[in-house]
Amino acid sequence: MSVAGYVERNRLGIGGAVATILAALALAVAFDLPVESIVTVGFVERSLQAATPIALAAIGGLYAEKSGVFNIGLEGFMILGAANAAAFVWLIGGESPTQGDLWLAIVAAVLVSLVYTLLFAVLLVRYRADQIVAGLAVWFIGLGFGPFSAVLIWGNRNSPGLVSVNDLTVPVLADVPVLGPILFDTSPLVLATAVVAVVAWVFLYRTRYGYWIQAAGENPEALDTAGVNVRRVRYASVLFSGAMAGLAGAVLFAHAGSFTGTGDTMVNGRGWIGIVAYLFGNYNPVGAAAAALLFGGLDMLQIQFQTAGIELPNRLVNLFPYVAVVIVLTVWGSTRMPSAVGESYETEE
Amino acid sequence: MLEATALQRLGIAMASTALALAIGLVVVAAAGYDPVTFLADVFEGAFGDENSIGRTLKFTTMFVLVGVAVAVAFRAGVFNIGVQGQFIVGGFATVVSILWLAPLLPAGTVGGIALLVLGTLAGVVAGGLYAAIPGALKAYGDANEIITTIMLNFIAVGVVGYLVEGPLRGEGNRAPNTARIPEYVSLPSVVFDSPDFSLVGLAVALVVVGVVSVVMIRTRVGYDMVTSGHQEAAATFSGVDAGRTVVTTMAFSGMVAGVAGAVFAIMIQGYYSDPGGVATYGFDAIAVSLLAANNPLGVVPAALLFGGLDSAGTHIGINSDVPPQLIDGIVGLVVLFVAAPELFRMAARRTGLGGERR
Repeated sequence: MSVAGYVERNRLGIGGAVATILAALALAVAFDLPVESIVTVGFVERSLQAATPIALAAIGGLYAEKSGVFNIGLEGFMILGAANAAAFVWLIGGESPTQGDLWLAIVAAVLVSLVYTLLFAVLLVRYRADQIVAGLAVWFIGLGFGPFSAVLIWGNRNSPGLVSVNDLTVPVLADVPVLGPILFDTSPLVLATAVVAVVAWVFLYRTRYGYWIQAAGENPEALDTAGVNVRRVRYASVLFSGAMAGLAGAVLFAHAGSFTGTGDTMVNGRGWIGIVAYLFGNYNPVGAAAAALLFGGLDMLQIQFQTAGIELPNRLVNLFPYVAVVIVLTVWGSTRMPSAVGESYETEE
Repeated sequence: MLEATALQRLGIAMASTALALAIGLVVVAAAGYDPVTFLADVFEGAFGDENSIGRTLKFTTMFVLVGVAVAVAFRAGVFNIGVQGQFIVGGFATVVSILWLAPLLPAGTVGGIALLVLGTLAGVVAGGLYAAIPGALKAYGDANEIITTIMLNFIAVGVVGYLVEGPLRGEGNRAPNTARIPEYVSLPSVVFDSPDFSLVGLAVALVVVGVVSVVMIRTRVGYDMVTSGHQEAAATFSGVDAGRTVVTTMAFSGMVAGVAGAVFAIMIQGYYSDPGGVATYGFDAIAVSLLAANNPLGVVPAALLFGGLDSAGTHIGINSDVPPQLIDGIVGLVVLFVAAPELFRMAARRTGLGGERR
């Protein structure tokens, strides 16, 4: 691939990226931005927390896609995960739930997600449903039934303040400057996500089952010939993606402490951003987590702008992640998908 | 969906709706309400009296327009999930242009008609341009249009929301709304005496269906759109510029969404409010179009079904304890089942029922 050819094919993308960087530079100069008061330890911490649900959903989604099934329903599964986690916390702990109740609720939400995803997977794999349309349907179902269950339980589309996850403080290590507060005095879910990303990478690229997943997406016939049940591999991958999206929703709830069901709900596009995160990370779990961190950081810029005294309307600053997604997709739009994505596979019996 | 015959499609659409409603009834029962009362409320809310029928037709008008907008793109193999955003931008442009132009034109019937036309044109242009963005990004940057259009929905809500909150908020308004468009810029009430429905609006929607059908079937542009959607290689060989066709398709789809925005702004709202709270017609439109197998003519009955459901939702929200969000969930289930025609084919084969569906 020649450089000229690459530039030719990605003219608009490169132009967009250059324009964005120039615009950011112009903004920084024009407003005399205090960069050091924007990029603070607190900012990194908040960005990591914001990135966590996106990263989890992205890792799940990339497994499904690697196996040949485009799970475009991540957003919907996240909404249901968040709503279920909130409902379980309320069921288990009532008005003043404890940390233990919260962890139980997260586990329960993931288990319920597995049940939904199984039904979804059967429609996709066995009944060869259109993956795009069925995934969109999951989003609509989440947007309807998420707030519906909130209204049933609390008489309102939003839950009252319930409980959020406590920070995990590692003694001694937490006192290390900069790294201490970021890594050793933070939400345990952030640390767990980092572990998940690394394990997901090792599993996908270094184990036999990981190779099967990749083969199911690239060359299902070959995998079938080798005596592996393609459908079963795809079922497992889709189930994993749904469970991860459910977990992502539950984590989003655990960080926020309450469920918001108005508008596009508290998930507010994070599932979609998760899809872009794994495209941007080129289907690599660690890369996807890094991309999620980028989007999480953009999401949290608003607070930094406020503390730094930069006057920009909140509603516009909130749009940064979405704008970034459009730019990233345009620049990186041509990532190579697994070749059998979207096709249902029929064994010839 | 596309390889099914017309009769099969009809059967699948009906089976999907029935199955989704059945699940909805189970949910209602599980939540501790009486499903029979619920079902009765659904029918009463949709077609019970003149009020309900007017409301159903109001929603039907909107669903016809946004449904056609989605169908245009899907037919051509482009996924425009951004109809909601184009609808918002179009409606907002309509209101703003009417507000700006009103002082320049005479008040009264003549000025009113001129403003209606100019406002709608502004909506069409704005919707078309907003849709052309993801079209261009797909054609020349290879960006997945499903995701870019969804992102552009969020961006439309944010930007228009910011504008109605701040710079373009009507003077003295406490709520984040633009000023009201003048009284004389409105659709006349025919038969139905309702403040937010006019048969003229429905007529506009049906005219749009006719125009779109003719463009899709009888013109070169429409032919190119549909062939490049289904036979990309063949279209390219016959000299169709694939990139330009994608942009045209999206722009055309967005223009129809712009008409929907204009009708919504003029007939229903009369001003523009924070789009975060505006009904999500653009999303339900996807269900409408799919149920109609992306056929512009089929959109009309599908829109009537969804109009009835939404109208029932409003009725239920007022007259019963069942949360109306249930209706949105049922719509999602309809889409889910429509996506899997194989489910019904297998069921039909197993039970030996539904001879026409084999």
